[in-house]
Amino acid sequence: MSDVKRFEALVLPHLDSAYNLARWLTRDSQDAQDVVQDACVRALKYLGSLERSDARAWFLAIVRNAFYDWVGRNRPAEIVHDEDAVDAAVDAASSSPEQAAVRNAELRVLSDAVAALPVQYREVLILRELEELSYKEIASIADIPVGTVMSRLARARALLQRSPLLHAIRGQSTRSAS
Amino acid sequence: MNCNDAAVMIAAYADGETDRARTRSIKTHLVSCPDCAAKYEELVVLRGRIRREVPRYSAPPALRASVLASLDTARQAAAARPRIGIDRWRWLTGGALAGCAATVLAWFIGTAIIDWRVNDDVAVEAVTSHVRATLGNQLIQVASSNQHTVKPWLSARLDYSPPVPDMQQEGFTLIGGRVDYLDQRPCATLVYKIRDHTVDVFVRPNAPRLPPSALRTVRGINVAHASGSGMDWLAVSDVSRDVLASFVQQLARSDTR
Repeated sequence: MSDVKRFEALVLPHLDSAYNLARWLTRDSQDAQDVVQDACVRALKYLGSLERSDARAWFLAIVRNAFYDWVGRNRPAEIVHDEDAVDAAVDAASSSPEQAAVRNAELRVLSDAVAALPVQYREVLILRELEELSYKEIASIADIPVGTVMSRLARARALLQRSPLLHAIRGQSTRSAS
Repeated sequence: MNCNDAAVMIAAYADGETDRARTRSIKTHLVSCPDCAAKYEELVVLRGRIRREVPRYSAPPALRASVLASLDTARQAAAARPRIGIDRWRWLTGGALAGCAATVLAWFIGTAIIDWRVNDDVAVEAVTSHVRATLGNQLIQVASSNQHTVKPWLSARLDYSPPVPDMQQEGFTLIGGRVDYLDQRPCATLVYKIRDHTVDVFVRPNAPRLPPSALRTVRGINVAHASGSGMDWLAVSDVSRDVLASFVQQLARSDTR
């Protein structure tokens, strides 16, 4: 099978998954399209390294790499490599009531809260909850151990649950239902 | 199991990532411990809200078009290469050309045998159909969310009458159907949507060639299988395996509900 045919059969069916991941990582439609386009070029080039069984995870790993290259060129400040620094920043933001209030006032809906998560937490959450991938697949895409997938997921969920927004919306929806 | 052990495992359990033994001990613990049961419940609520309120984006048509365009360019580049080769060999005598023809014929027979062996696997065939349909415009030949429209349309084109279950309660919306070719026979394909995932369900009169329950992943796309209601059900989708497996079981049981 030619490379183009292989690409159409194995990779192209996962274009929605690729765009969804890129869209949540970049938080912008046009940037996400650039990232996916770049990822497709890379995927076509490295098609030889693809095994049949895990085309989606393979392609999403390429999308993620394309994103990190893109973000390094365009928004280098966004990437914090030190895990502890991410935790510290998140804790600082939520421990000060004023800051938390400002932050939460900006978050109108749950999807805003997801978009506001640090990128390391956001990517595992999106891969788990929207792409419904297993811990093992997420670990291979994000190139981290399964234990780290679990701890990042736990942090992401704790942050969303801690957000007062969640309770406010829950209150609203029960009111409007009654 | 105490609460400390449980705390780590609850999320894994909620994500369907625990083995059978762990699942059993967590279930036992949740029954006896209201605190941990509440934590589990919170995770389930959060998941439900994420899936309802946080959009899964689909690739915009412009992106799809530009990817397809760059594939065309790659294809033309690949096609240009052998043509140069043919020009170079134009001086070849008739005997040599006949030799080439024999080689090409052998290659055709060889690939035909390989194709035949690959297609022998119905699951692979179903995934290929699913991919072809979702790529092109042939996903749906009869577009309707009404089972009483889809069923007669399919029955009129097949030598059997496939059940078309309403699965709205389970979160699966019927969007239509088409007639596919599977295992060398025409086959009814029901098309459902759950969130942004397309689910193709191939429905055939009982076909004993598959094991009673088959769950596999072909090229990253999941296939689940069940028999019931006098039919053989093969569901194909990129939705998660557990969701797809329970869906196909419910389909197979649908006429006994």
